[in-house]
Amino acid sequence: MLLQVRDLHVEFRTHDGVAKAVNGVSYEVDAGETLAVLGESGSGKSVTAQAIMGILDVPPGRITGGEILFQGRDLLQLKEDDRRKVRGAEMAMIFQDALSSLNPVLSVGEQLGEMFVVHRGMSRKDARAKAVELMDRVRIPAAKERVGQYPHQFSGGMRQRIMIAMALALEPALIIADEPTTALDVTVQAQVMDLLAELQQEYHMGLILITHDLGVVADVADRIAVMYAGRIVETAPVHDLYKAPAHPYTRGLLDSIPRLDHKGHELYAIKGLPPNLMAIPPGCAFHPRCPRAQDVCLTDEPPLYAVAEDGARESACHFWRETLRDA
Amino acid sequence: MADLNKGEEPVDRKSDVSATEAAEAAEPAGAVEAAIEAPVERGEPILQVRNLVKHFPLTQGILFKRQIGAVKAVDGISFDLYQGETLGIVGESGCGKSTVAKLLMLLETATSGEVFYKGQDITKLSGRALRAVRRNIQMVFQDPYTSLNPRMTVGDIIGEPFDIHPEGAPKGDRRRKVQELLDVVGLNPEYINRYPHQFSGGQRQRIGIARGLALNPEIIICDEPVSALDVSVQAQVINLMEKLQDEFNLSYLFIAHDLSIVRHISDRVGVMYLGKMAEIGTDAEIYDHPTHPYTQALLSAVPVPDPEAREGRERIILTGDVPSPANPPSGCRFRTRCWKAQDKCATEVPVLAIPERFKDSETLAAHESACHFAEEKDVVHAA
Repeated sequence: MLLQVRDLHVEFRTHDGVAKAVNGVSYEVDAGETLAVLGESGSGKSVTAQAIMGILDVPPGRITGGEILFQGRDLLQLKEDDRRKVRGAEMAMIFQDALSSLNPVLSVGEQLGEMFVVHRGMSRKDARAKAVELMDRVRIPAAKERVGQYPHQFSGGMRQRIMIAMALALEPALIIADEPTTALDVTVQAQVMDLLAELQQEYHMGLILITHDLGVVADVADRIAVMYAGRIVETAPVHDLYKAPAHPYTRGLLDSIPRLDHKGHELYAIKGLPPNLMAIPPGCAFHPRCPRAQDVCLTDEPPLYAVAEDGARESACHFWRETLRDA
Repeated sequence: MADLNKGEEPVDRKSDVSATEAAEAAEPAGAVEAAIEAPVERGEPILQVRNLVKHFPLTQGILFKRQIGAVKAVDGISFDLYQGETLGIVGESGCGKSTVAKLLMLLETATSGEVFYKGQDITKLSGRALRAVRRNIQMVFQDPYTSLNPRMTVGDIIGEPFDIHPEGAPKGDRRRKVQELLDVVGLNPEYINRYPHQFSGGQRQRIGIARGLALNPEIIICDEPVSALDVSVQAQVINLMEKLQDEFNLSYLFIAHDLSIVRHISDRVGVMYLGKMAEIGTDAEIYDHPTHPYTQALLSAVPVPDPEAREGRERIILTGDVPSPANPPSGCRFRTRCWKAQDKCATEVPVLAIPERFKDSETLAAHESACHFAEEKDVVHAA
């Protein structure tokens, strides 16, 4: 297994109290596999990714428990110097907003080449040649001419390709993409997702795709983990989850999206609001919004029940059988 | 609850009375169903947009500025908006859809073209007449975080339109009126003294909607009203907007990039590309029987949350990016990315009309489409 996150806990200390952003998250990604982590804002999906990458803001953030095993090593036990060698070279991240993630005063060639200068000790000239090669690989037209241009001279889609090129530069084993296409138009979104999926196959990388978009997930992911209030509430192979969700929150999310192929009636709306991370409801965190909640949900926190016998599906709902049956 | 300023309207609004009565009769829970079920009765259009153009000048030089070109953000757009209907406008970023919103709100001055509101060209108005029109066209913005003043209480935010348009303000207790509005959008009326930061994104958008409703407008222009919200909250706000439309007989111009949401809420949909309307028709005409290649490409690129449906759908991946609106391609603006482009497309600008070949057709393909080679193609349903 390439990456194993085990029982990760992250909290943020603020003036108003302690916000529990991640509360016991465990997931695994294998080489060549795409895991989609789905959740709304505040679900802890990005914070988990930041903890894996080692780019969590500490303080106010603090990892209070758990392990992150990457190729067998626990990253949380490494010194910062060793951690830095892993970051970029062995795992890389693609962010949502390419314009603010790129340095506006350096040409894209310099920024791409920097990876090779810093990690591989290449000369600037060789690094530049490598940069052109990478830009070709992510299919930026006229790479040779554009290598000296600055980020603002590229369109949104092209900038996101540069971000992908930068992540791929040192051929990492794992890529974490945090909402990589959210800022892009649908036509460009399709191009970028296709490119990412193709490169993943070519390099046999593990990919963690963090998103709130159920549509994007359906297109590219192998497995999916749904997060709510800092926990995983359901994991399943993509086809199974869309066919029959085993958690009322997943069911609610799927029902609340309008369809493209017919008009439909009134949208199903999950009642209430996402929980305050400083006061997560006791028992099942979703119970105040759940149509299926019983007394037990108010008091007993549901474990991840095995839905499929081989362990490929899990659901953190006391009533997963009923949810699955009514799907 | 549906009684907003009734009887205090100085402007001619005879159609409003029956609508208010109907809304009072309807149960709130059933209202949304009714809004979707009811066929659109097209009377007179409430808003008629004709050849609307907005060019932003590009200048060079510091002391002696000279114009070296123009960004053709909106380049000749015409459409009608009928009373009580929702017209969705979709398109990629930079296609000019938000500029259209600003032009209709009279926040930008049109370079040329007309916007008729009840037969009166509002682009030529000023002073008192302009204020009267402005009261009837309100807007709901995209970002509920930056569109509410953080130093004002919710009561002041929702009541501010009454200060600007005293003639539209309730005669008696303004505070009670604001509390009524809070109730209408599903917020606790007790929250009147709270500040925006005490609310979540979805609640803030409800505040923005309450502000838009305060003066009892006829048209609400919504520029990406739910795109900043989480999926579970989006549905709540969309349902609220449909309920309010039915209660107050509102006309919505609904601008968004999310094609599924636009289909859900709209009676008719217009597809924009580089400052021009590519195709316009009812939701079934556009989504189930698109004839413009751009619409087809746009629809086919939408990721649908159903892996099995996806496998049966045809995908059209467009190459390249949207050209610059400062220097749009000649002829058909979409031709640089179009797989059907011929020589004719570079020389002749296609007009937005029902294509000749579908003129006598009874099918839903017979709707306005600006393509020389319009042909029907279903890209939304699995084969």
